[in-house]
Amino acid sequence: MDVAATDSYPPQSTALCRHCSEPCETGSIASADGKFCCTGCEAVFNLLHQAGLSAFYTCDVNPGTSQKRDSAPDARRFAVLDDTGVADRLVTSPAPGLARVSLSVPSIHCSSCIWLLEQLWRFDGGIVRSEVDLFRRTVQIDFRRNETTLRRIAETLAAIGYEPSLSLEDAPAATPAGRRRLHLQIGIAGFAFGNIMLFSIPRYANGGPLDPTFERVFELLNVALATPVLFFSAAPYFQTAWHAVRRRSMAIEVPVAIGLAALYLRSIFDIGTGRGEGFFDSFAGLVFFLLIGRLLQHKVFDSIAFDRTYRSFLPLSVRVRRGMGLELTPLERLTRGDSIEVRPGEVVPADAELLSIHGLIDYAFVTGEQVPLAVHQGETVRAGGRVTTDVLHLRLTTDVSHSHLASLWNNPIFSKPKSRWLTVVGARFGTWFTVGAIGLAAAGAVAWWPDASASVNVATAVLIIACPCALTLSAPITLGVTMGLLAKRGLYLKHPAVALDLSRIDTIAFDKTGTLTAGHARQIVETAGLSRHSCRLAKALASRSTHPVSRAIASGFEQVGIDDSGPMQVVGLNEEPGAGISGWVNGVPVAIGTRAFATSRASRTRSGPDDRTFVRVGSENGWVRLSSVIRPGVEAAAQTLAGSHSIWLLSGDHDGERTRWLDVFGPRMRFRQTPHDKLAFIRAAKAAGSHVLMIGDGLNDSGALAAADVGITVSDDTACIVPACDAVVAGDRVAALPTFVRYARRAKSVVFLCFFVSVLYNAIGLTLALTGALTPLASAVLMPLSSLTIVGLSWGAMHWSATRMLPS
Amino acid sequence: MTVLILLIAAGGTVATGFLIAFVWAVRSGQFDDTGTPAVRMLLDGRPRADNEANERINTLG
Repeated sequence: MDVAATDSYPPQSTALCRHCSEPCETGSIASADGKFCCTGCEAVFNLLHQAGLSAFYTCDVNPGTSQKRDSAPDARRFAVLDDTGVADRLVTSPAPGLARVSLSVPSIHCSSCIWLLEQLWRFDGGIVRSEVDLFRRTVQIDFRRNETTLRRIAETLAAIGYEPSLSLEDAPAATPAGRRRLHLQIGIAGFAFGNIMLFSIPRYANGGPLDPTFERVFELLNVALATPVLFFSAAPYFQTAWHAVRRRSMAIEVPVAIGLAALYLRSIFDIGTGRGEGFFDSFAGLVFFLLIGRLLQHKVFDSIAFDRTYRSFLPLSVRVRRGMGLELTPLERLTRGDSIEVRPGEVVPADAELLSIHGLIDYAFVTGEQVPLAVHQGETVRAGGRVTTDVLHLRLTTDVSHSHLASLWNNPIFSKPKSRWLTVVGARFGTWFTVGAIGLAAAGAVAWWPDASASVNVATAVLIIACPCALTLSAPITLGVTMGLLAKRGLYLKHPAVALDLSRIDTIAFDKTGTLTAGHARQIVETAGLSRHSCRLAKALASRSTHPVSRAIASGFEQVGIDDSGPMQVVGLNEEPGAGISGWVNGVPVAIGTRAFATSRASRTRSGPDDRTFVRVGSENGWVRLSSVIRPGVEAAAQTLAGSHSIWLLSGDHDGERTRWLDVFGPRMRFRQTPHDKLAFIRAAKAAGSHVLMIGDGLNDSGALAAADVGITVSDDTACIVPACDAVVAGDRVAALPTFVRYARRAKSVVFLCFFVSVLYNAIGLTLALTGALTPLASAVLMPLSSLTIVGLSWGAMHWSATRMLPS
Repeated sequence: MTVLILLIAAGGTVATGFLIAFVWAVRSGQFDDTGTPAVRMLLDGRPRADNEANERINTLG
């Protein structure tokens, strides 16, 4: 490789950050080591360099994640981890003096991350071992209690660019016990299946009876092998069936449990009375295949954390004023009346009254409104609002669990499990199968009466063969494979059954901010009344502020080639929350902000769109119009979906962008929607008989996401999940939504195809059963064969469709 | 032919041994993360780090 060429890359014009490889914009830093987009990236780079870990940058492509922040994070944010009550909930003790913690680190994404994070001991001598789980994005750390603390570890991680996401709500279980259990269940069932087959083959192959001694030994061995399968491996089916029966409802597991019980009991009976060898091979094989279907479902669950509540959005701890000082207090110990301090970038934990003079609160999280809201002393700040500019003092007027935000959560929509179409259909077929099988078994028994032995024979054979095992396999395998293939392409389903619900959607409601548009980034779409020189001065002023509008203006001007290098002297900077920013640039007065703030009286009459930001430079009056950045391809995707579905736009934002979406949504747009409005809209649509897909982000959509048949959250960071959704789609994959929907429809067809095939097998089996010809051999061939056909068919069909339909 | 019983017993013992090994493997967490080790093994040797790390592991053990 030509080293010199590598060194000269990237070219000067589009300098990329040495750490995160993102383009360096305004405020970038040039040092001897190269250019950095921000001080955070530079700090991480230097730290790694000093520790002799520069190989981090060569392990994988672009390993660094941008450290750019809206505001400097609080250096003491991990101080809460010194609280023993908090630390004890996160830490386990594998050996005396040793502590183990499993931290969720959302920015883990590549092999460089593994390489670096498994050498944490280089940064902190107290760390004994660290192990990364790439797919669950966690790092498990063992450390000596007397040499380091949890807080210091968290700070070390943050310093090297891997900020841990702390939440007591979902304190990560060190090892998913359920998964281990499933692995054991499959192992036992597979072991039994193989060995029972081995002991049964001599019998089948011999044609005639075996030596009685062998016969006895084989039979006893088979009983010994099959019994743990019944009580351990098949336990989940019996439990689900029992729960269903007790709730007087029906599930597809009921006929499965009946079938499995019939197989086992009939076999025991046959062996006990010396009538034959029983059906243990079919029994173990069925359980084995059924459990494999279950394993497929589990695979995808791990890569993504669902089921978080609003609390995971709130900080772990809050600074409470006690006497003269501030005390870091865990969230659950906050009470009404506490006087708290919230720093820029932090989220207000409960509804509160503002004690500071004024402040800017960004409710984008809760309402979708893009522009931060100015609040003044004595006014209420709602929970979930993010403080943007200054440190604010607040007095809590509610508990954490009684804030307005929490009240949305107390809506029964969040506690009631969603009714899945698969469950509904499963229950319907379950009833049908159970009634049909029992009816047919009774009819068979009556037909063979008075030959009691033949009657029992036929009745149990019918129950065995009617066990809809292939049917129960077809849905989990097809949908499980669908779920896995979709996850590889950026759509993470919470449950395989979501794929079926997705295939039935006829109405789609989109949120705007963060869904159709990328995050909260904005760009300049229109500028008026400003000379090039004025733009330079305005940019110089805007780049001094961290307000989102200022930052959008600064970077927007940069994009159109306006350059404020050269000597720029900004004095008298004044930022007025909710109004704008003003100052003197090179001796010229400049103001950016609302019409009243930044426009001289003489020019107020000029009319134009509502969503303008006004700029005054000297005597020049002008404005810029900012608009959010639409995700690439999303407009085309919405248009495609409009051909087959009824699509709606539900936005919490004001209607400044109405005209922009008119082509796609026509009149089906609603703006200024509160979370409750969105929820009401979805409910009304469902009441009218529509199957609704809601796609949104942020807490403001969570009610609607929970109410919809399918709620999809858009996330640019899969580790931060909005609760109550059924699926998460990566931000850059929203445009692939039409293909995802088509693929879900394909999955539905495949399930029906498998269903047809399994019914065919059952028909053959039932014929054999009713004529009294279902021998153990016929069963041992027929049942695994039908299971294998279904597995092969659904797996093959879904993979074939994926390569043809889905984007890679 | 009764020698077959002996063979079955021997075979069963071996099979049970593997089953126990499997149960142990699952319980000790070897199936908890089936993805990361595949990536980890592709990382180039850690220069200078190996001996140090081993020392630390040994002192821990």
